Amino acid sequence: MKIKFKLNGVFTEVYVEPHETLLNVLRDRLKVRSVKYGCGVGECGSCTVLLDGEPVPSCLVVAAKVDGSEVTTPDHIAQTELGKVIVDSMLEEGAIQCGYCTPGFLVTIYAALARGVRNVDEIRKAIAGNICRCTGYVNILKAVKKILERVGS
Amino acid sequence: MLSINAFNTYRIPQIFDYYRPRDLREALKLLESVEGAKVVAGGTDLVVDLKYRRIEVRALIDISRLDELRFIKLEDSYVEIGSAVTIQEIVESSIAREKLPLLVEAAESLGSWQIRNLATIGGNLCTASPAADTAPPLLVYDAELELVSLRGVRTVPIEKFFTGPKRVVLERGEILRSIRIPVSRNVFGWSYIKLRRTSFDVAKASVAVLLDARDGYIVDARVALGSVAPTPVRARGVERSIVGLKIEEAARVASERVVNEISPIDDARSTAWYRLQASKTLVSDAVWRAYERLLKIGV
Amino acid sequence: MFNFIGRSFPRHDGFAKASGLAEFTFDVEVPGMLYGRIFKSPHAFARVGRVDASGAEALGAVVLTPDDVPDRLFNPRLISIEEDTFKDWRVLTKVPRYFGEPIAAVAAPTEDTAQRALEALRVDFEEVYDPVLDPFKAMSPSTRPIHERVMRGGRWIEVKNNIAAELRYSEGDLDSEEKRSSVVIERKFHASRRYHTQLEPKGAVCKLEPDGTLVVWTTTQTIHNTKILISQVYGIPMNRVDVRKVLLGGGFGSSIHTNLVTLIAVGLCLKSRKPVKLVLTREEDMVHDHVSFEFYMKVRAGATRDGSITFGELDNLIDVGAHQIQAYPILGTSLGWFVSLYKWRAVKYHGRSVYTNKVPSCAIRGYGAPEITWAVETVVDELAEELKIDPLEFRLANYRGRGEIFWGQGPTVKSIIRSDGVPELIAKGSEIIGWKRRESPRVKTGRFRRGVGVGRGFHTSGAGGPLSGAIIDYTGAVVKVNEDGSIDYITALQDHGGGTLDAHIKIIAEELKIPPGKVRVVWSGTSTTVYDVCTHASRGVFTGGEAARRAALEVKKKVLEYASRILDSVSPEALRIEYDRELSDAVIFVEGAPEKRITLSEVARVAWQRNWGSISASVSYRATVAPPSFTVYFVEVEVDMETGVIKPIRVVAGADIGTVISPELAAGQIHGGFAIGWSWTVGDEVSYLENGVPAHRMSLTDYKLPTSMDLPSDEDFIVLFASTYEPFGPFGAKGLGEAASNPVIAAVANAIYNATGIRFYEIPMTPEKILKAIKEGE
Ligand SMILES: Cc1cc2nc3c(=O)[nH]c(=O)nc-3n(C[C@H](O)[C@H](O)[C@H](O)COP(=O)(O)OP(=O)(O)OC[C@H]3O[C@@H](n4cnc5c(N)ncnc54)[C@H](O)[C@@H]3O)c2cc1C
Ligand code: FES
Ligand code: FES
Repeated sequence: MKIKFKLNGVFTEVYVEPHETLLNVLRDRLKVRSVKYGCGVGECGSCTVLLDGEPVPSCLVVAAKVDGSEVTTPDHIAQTELGKVIVDSMLEEGAIQCGYCTPGFLVTIYAALARGVRNVDEIRKAIAGNICRCTGYVNILKAVKKILERVGS
Repeated sequence: MLSINAFNTYRIPQIFDYYRPRDLREALKLLESVEGAKVVAGGTDLVVDLKYRRIEVRALIDISRLDELRFIKLEDSYVEIGSAVTIQEIVESSIAREKLPLLVEAAESLGSWQIRNLATIGGNLCTASPAADTAPPLLVYDAELELVSLRGVRTVPIEKFFTGPKRVVLERGEILRSIRIPVSRNVFGWSYIKLRRTSFDVAKASVAVLLDARDGYIVDARVALGSVAPTPVRARGVERSIVGLKIEEAARVASERVVNEISPIDDARSTAWYRLQASKTLVSDAVWRAYERLLKIGV
Repeated sequence: MFNFIGRSFPRHDGFAKASGLAEFTFDVEVPGMLYGRIFKSPHAFARVGRVDASGAEALGAVVLTPDDVPDRLFNPRLISIEEDTFKDWRVLTKVPRYFGEPIAAVAAPTEDTAQRALEALRVDFEEVYDPVLDPFKAMSPSTRPIHERVMRGGRWIEVKNNIAAELRYSEGDLDSEEKRSSVVIERKFHASRRYHTQLEPKGAVCKLEPDGTLVVWTTTQTIHNTKILISQVYGIPMNRVDVRKVLLGGGFGSSIHTNLVTLIAVGLCLKSRKPVKLVLTREEDMVHDHVSFEFYMKVRAGATRDGSITFGELDNLIDVGAHQIQAYPILGTSLGWFVSLYKWRAVKYHGRSVYTNKVPSCAIRGYGAPEITWAVETVVDELAEELKIDPLEFRLANYRGRGEIFWGQGPTVKSIIRSDGVPELIAKGSEIIGWKRRESPRVKTGRFRRGVGVGRGFHTSGAGGPLSGAIIDYTGAVVKVNEDGSIDYITALQDHGGGTLDAHIKIIAEELKIPPGKVRVVWSGTSTTVYDVCTHASRGVFTGGEAARRAALEVKKKVLEYASRILDSVSPEALRIEYDRELSDAVIFVEGAPEKRITLSEVARVAWQRNWGSISASVSYRATVAPPSFTVYFVEVEVDMETGVIKPIRVVAGADIGTVISPELAAGQIHGGFAIGWSWTVGDEVSYLENGVPAHRMSLTDYKLPTSMDLPSDEDFIVLFASTYEPFGPFGAKGLGEAASNPVIAAVANAIYNATGIRFYEIPMTPEKILKAIKEGE
């Protein structure tokens, strides 16, 4: 079946199979590789994308569902003004190690900021669905503080 | 038995059709007429089950965008929540935050932010997991579920809804339309406590408590537990035994009595023994916390 | 003073990673490729009769069966010298020895077809045996042998009593040391099988070039050993195998060798003559690939009344699962960790690696050191308590420090400790954590009890040594100056995320006095790099960094020589080189003659214009020592006595890594080292049902990792670096990756004891076990 949706602001039409997830369609049909597979069952957050502005695990979204929606992926977010602040702060604080989880964190932190969250503890809670095996989250939290300083209220 | 070679968590390893009906009626018709069809809302339970081949389907009927199932409204004596309302929407709903703080507390503990954005309250109940986080609060709120099919509408009290692990009273062709939660004029203290392996996890054991007290004595108590029996359970025995007691006494008695009303098992998340022990503490903690909140509202 | 070392620079691959544009194996795509799937054994121990491929082939799939792959045994890890390499693996097996062992594989033009072809394969089992799961029962002569014979190097050896490898060692007069001891403590420990849970599942993509060269992208910490193994198994000359470097989504030991998935993908590619992508799903990676070793340790140790340690004895039984990856070497390193922790005057060791019908095991961050350190640091804590000596003083009096002989990586790689920050770390750390205020668990009451514990550990920096020994350890680097003075750095070394290559960039920059931004790491492969053994053993900065420094040094010599020609100086020795911040370049000048100046870029340009040739260097380097990086961690925990739930409250983590090259990345290693160690202590475990099927934990749904809410926040985590300088390291640096996690289990376990008064001798220490012990104590 054909679906139409806005991918990173651009109207996109793509053929999908009903049993494909958004993760499959983004990665394999649309070649958006910034969305990573880590578990396929909603547990790790590596595949997080924005669906109509809300972070969701794309591995659990039946692709056909996004017909008429808006999807935003980490590669796009990284190029936005707010995205750049997040990435730069993460880089400066050493919050990126292997980097497999990082795009997922970028999306979640971006979504929280975009909704006006300006508090470290709330962002710490918001990223509890993003698993990182490398960093112990400490430098990520440091980066979050820096981001908040830079973004202001 | 399907072998391990049949699982695939990257790509759903089965082929089916997908329908997105325009309204509830069309959904019901499809559900009735399409062979092997199943309703999908957020998909957070269903898609996982499909990947692990716990179920096989021929078609999915997507109800997640039906306006008829996506509302939270406040009436005189009850709040009604459409089954396709997401858990995150409940967390953020001002009606829910004001009238159903216990449900909100439980909803906040469900999954991660990402999961809550997809997961629906209807899916949480229809999955019929003993650990479903919205079930214990809805049990103590005495919620009623409205089930619809082409044959008509029926209302089922939530205590009658769950019949066993993964089993509910839904019949073929039926969809959970909404959840109706009575709101009394009485003020209650509330508490939902959930024990889990990490802060992003399904419950090992959970307790929901609503409490009213006067002069330090319990006058009304409602207690329900999750993940410690084949279904979420209302602990009526505990409730009866603590009404009339002073809070210290009530917390102690509740923790003693609770063991009679649960029948936990060993599973991936914990052991029967631990669940039994922990439930005692959880119930007592929840009674205390509900009481303390009640005092705060009092002043 | 350094120009760049010790200062923070954003990592070179950071934007690529954060934006998701960086390529991991999972992201590699080759036009026309087929997708592979593996047929995994549904039995833990069986014998395959027939593999019927007709159903799968009818769907258009290429099928690879055990008959299609070379009948050649191998060991996926090529670190030991050939004579010490035990071989018992096949690419595909007719005798599956663990649940999930690959029997066949399919490849098809779409993923859906591959899945259907996989399900269409019919595999008959001639026999299904009861699996052998308990390593102690495995050793009984009446138990069915899992392997009857395996190869050691080029010859067959018989396996007796399912013992895959054995090592005994003794030193000193144990009996008389024991007699001299006022206190002797004996304890048994059990460390569970843990899954690495690197965030990227393993995989491989292969293609054949028109000239027949096989190109491979795969999750591996060693591209050269992967090349060698593919060459050995499939009989392809090594210059016809180009294993390309690709980012790794975490390592932790999971790709320290060549994963089976790589060899299967190669088999599918060779058979189909088409490009093939074969990536594991999470549950395949977790349940069917490999996990950590499982340890059963018995430690006996003594001390005299005045607090000196006398003897140590370790009985180390390791359940290695169904195949050997490092079953033999781990026995040697376990001994090395044990011996090098304290100044035992007598040592006795018996190590055995035992086969069971479980998924094979390999190193996990620390290579046995976290487990051995936990056992020893527990016993040491208990000895100190018995003797009523402060545990810190007891450690300071008895640990192996500066001037002592040290052989972390085992008896064949010994060296002398030259840098040691332990006293400094103990002094500073204990001050911050408030060690003096620490109370005995006996006086603690109430429901929520806090406790402080210490763990001291170390890890070697690499596995180098003065003699060649039984382990291969050398590396190489190529540094090349472009015609505009920018630098290409070409190395086979992998960076799993720790920032190894960023450290190299800074080392090169420091040596050449140019800004790190001028150095680019070139993504290369085995065809274009010189040999590096593997990014493991915390050797990336110490050994790899020194190779990079030496290559940069050679380049510098050439630059100075050319500069000398240009500047007309009497010899290159008359020249100085300095970093010029304004020019953002190195300037070469004659002291006292300000007009005699030239930038490095200009030298490169002139050398090109005048046909002097390229400025470049290729270095191969073997470290002659493997110095220890010490870590001393203080941890405070809180235990809920009614639920058994433990929370980390505070961590003060001290590390002696010599010169700190990248402070924020080094701190990141320590945070991450703590996180993984915490997870091992309280949760990680792969266990099995009686039929050899892993119990429950088939996915991340039940293999839970700590989240941002479960670990200490930045405010509760203090990192200390000792001010030491390692004379053999590049600019004084040592390794860190594994040292960062080695003392964690010990520190947490000692903290739990200090809170509850109960010692746990088994990880994971789950709330279930803790509560049970509390209730039993009541
Ligand atoms: C990573 C992860 C973490 C989770 N953590 C938690 C947790 O902490 N607590 C918890 O309780 N749950 C948890 N869950 C489970 C799940 O998210 C919830 O149960 C969720 O509420 C299910 O809702 P859904 O809309 O996604 O259901 P779906 O998956 O869409 O549907 C679930 C089932 O209900 C049926 N169904 C759905 N809606 C209706 C309807 N209106 N009428 C009739 N049948 C219907 C479907 O046919 C299906 O059988 C978790 C899941 C994941 C993947
Ligand atoms: S891959 Fe989607 S949450 Fe892990
Ligand atoms: S940086 Fe490796 S998993 Fe997060």
